[in-house]
Amino acid sequence: MLELIGSLVILVGAAFNFSAGLGMLRMPDAYTRMQAGTKASTLGNALVLMGIACLHPEWTLKLLLVIYFVLMTNPISSHALARAAYRSQVPMTPQATVDALRDAREQSRGEA
Amino acid sequence: MISTVVLTTGLTLLLIGLWGILRHRNILRIVIAFSLIGTGTHIVIVAIGYVENGTAAIIDRGLSAAEAPMRAVDPIPSALTVTAIVIGLAVTAIMLAFAIRLYEAKKTLSIDAFTESKW
Amino acid sequence: MIRRAGIALAITLFGLMFAGLVLHHVERRTLPPLGKRYVELVPQELGAANVVTGILLTYRGFDTLGEVAVLFMVAAGVGLVLDKRGRRNEGQRRGTRSPPRQASEIVRTGAQILLPLLAIFAAYIIMHGHLSAGGGFQGGAVLASGLVLSLFADPQQRLDQRFLSRTESAAGVLFVLVGVAGLLFAGGFLDSRVLPLGQFGAFFSAGSIPVLSVLLGIKVGCELSVIIDRFRT
Repeated sequence: MLELIGSLVILVGAAFNFSAGLGMLRMPDAYTRMQAGTKASTLGNALVLMGIACLHPEWTLKLLLVIYFVLMTNPISSHALARAAYRSQVPMTPQATVDALRDAREQSRGEA
Repeated sequence: MISTVVLTTGLTLLLIGLWGILRHRNILRIVIAFSLIGTGTHIVIVAIGYVENGTAAIIDRGLSAAEAPMRAVDPIPSALTVTAIVIGLAVTAIMLAFAIRLYEAKKTLSIDAFTESKW
Repeated sequence: MIRRAGIALAITLFGLMFAGLVLHHVERRTLPPLGKRYVELVPQELGAANVVTGILLTYRGFDTLGEVAVLFMVAAGVGLVLDKRGRRNEGQRRGTRSPPRQASEIVRTGAQILLPLLAIFAAYIIMHGHLSAGGGFQGGAVLASGLVLSLFADPQQRLDQRFLSRTESAAGVLFVLVGVAGLLFAGGFLDSRVLPLGQFGAFFSAGSIPVLSVLLGIKVGCELSVIIDRFRT
């Protein structure tokens, strides 16, 4: 029974990973691609690891540590990448209408 | 069965990397394709050493020293792969350094701009 | 058009060759004779639990030495290829330097949490090379990634390149000296039995393999850091 749940969770995690890859292919510009790649693949990884924890219950603590590590590193690295891309003035897709970082910077410069 | 699946995956990665080298014109994408070829080759090497129903060649609670010659996977391809991964990283570093210098020379990343060595 | 047809032809031919490889592949049932000898010999003679590390650092130790040499040459080569641009652009850059940019707060905080974890993890992987999966190269790569993270957190940081290159050279020289000690005191070059074999599975066991792993880890970590540091403007 627990094995069935574990296998299903792994399958859902693999589906999320696949959607991450698909998103990276189909999204219009660099920023949306980074968002698709990071969010979906982090969740996919976490689900796969939780599925393995269902299949091997004695490894649960170690797998929780690994999930914590993945949750710490993936978003931070993607944030650093996106910030670097913004600084290098990688163009945004014309479908984007809001540039929150520019508004926030102008606001803080106006207040300073 | 398992090693056939892994072998197919590795050879497919090799093919994708090869296709990537031939198709792209951007230098960085060609470097990524080389890296794919390297990864595919490493997977193929490890898959060749698989023994049926075998486990990793590490002697611990799961595999005692007495039954290791029966059940362990071939350790030599794994050792060769460790070396190969490091060398692949080194070659990628040199390729990226060259890509940086090429970009500084012609201000473009497309290899169509570098025709001095062609006939 | 011709190029596309050529690419398709090449990929198809390679694909047929690989399909032939896969179809004729027969999974092994038993180990090949050499692998069997190694799996039997490494726990007995070397006292190492990890057969792959035992092979890499003793029976095939010369290949590992060659690989260390290749890494050193790559570090020197990257330094050679990327060297002049730092000097050439520095004159131009002085005038138009933008205000020093600081890394964003998320990256700095994340680096503060992750760097100790990465350092401990790298040390764990290096020291457990002979007991479970791990080894010098793997731990050295984690060490270099920790350094890259600290570079992200503080982009203005000046890496002490002389210290790094001296450390890595010292580690390489010590590696060769341990190998020569094996030549003098034990069976041959890089024989790991110069140090006592100890109890199987204990932390300090397997002769000089932990020492070699530590030296390898330090060398690879410093080398990868130097290579990555060269890529910064």
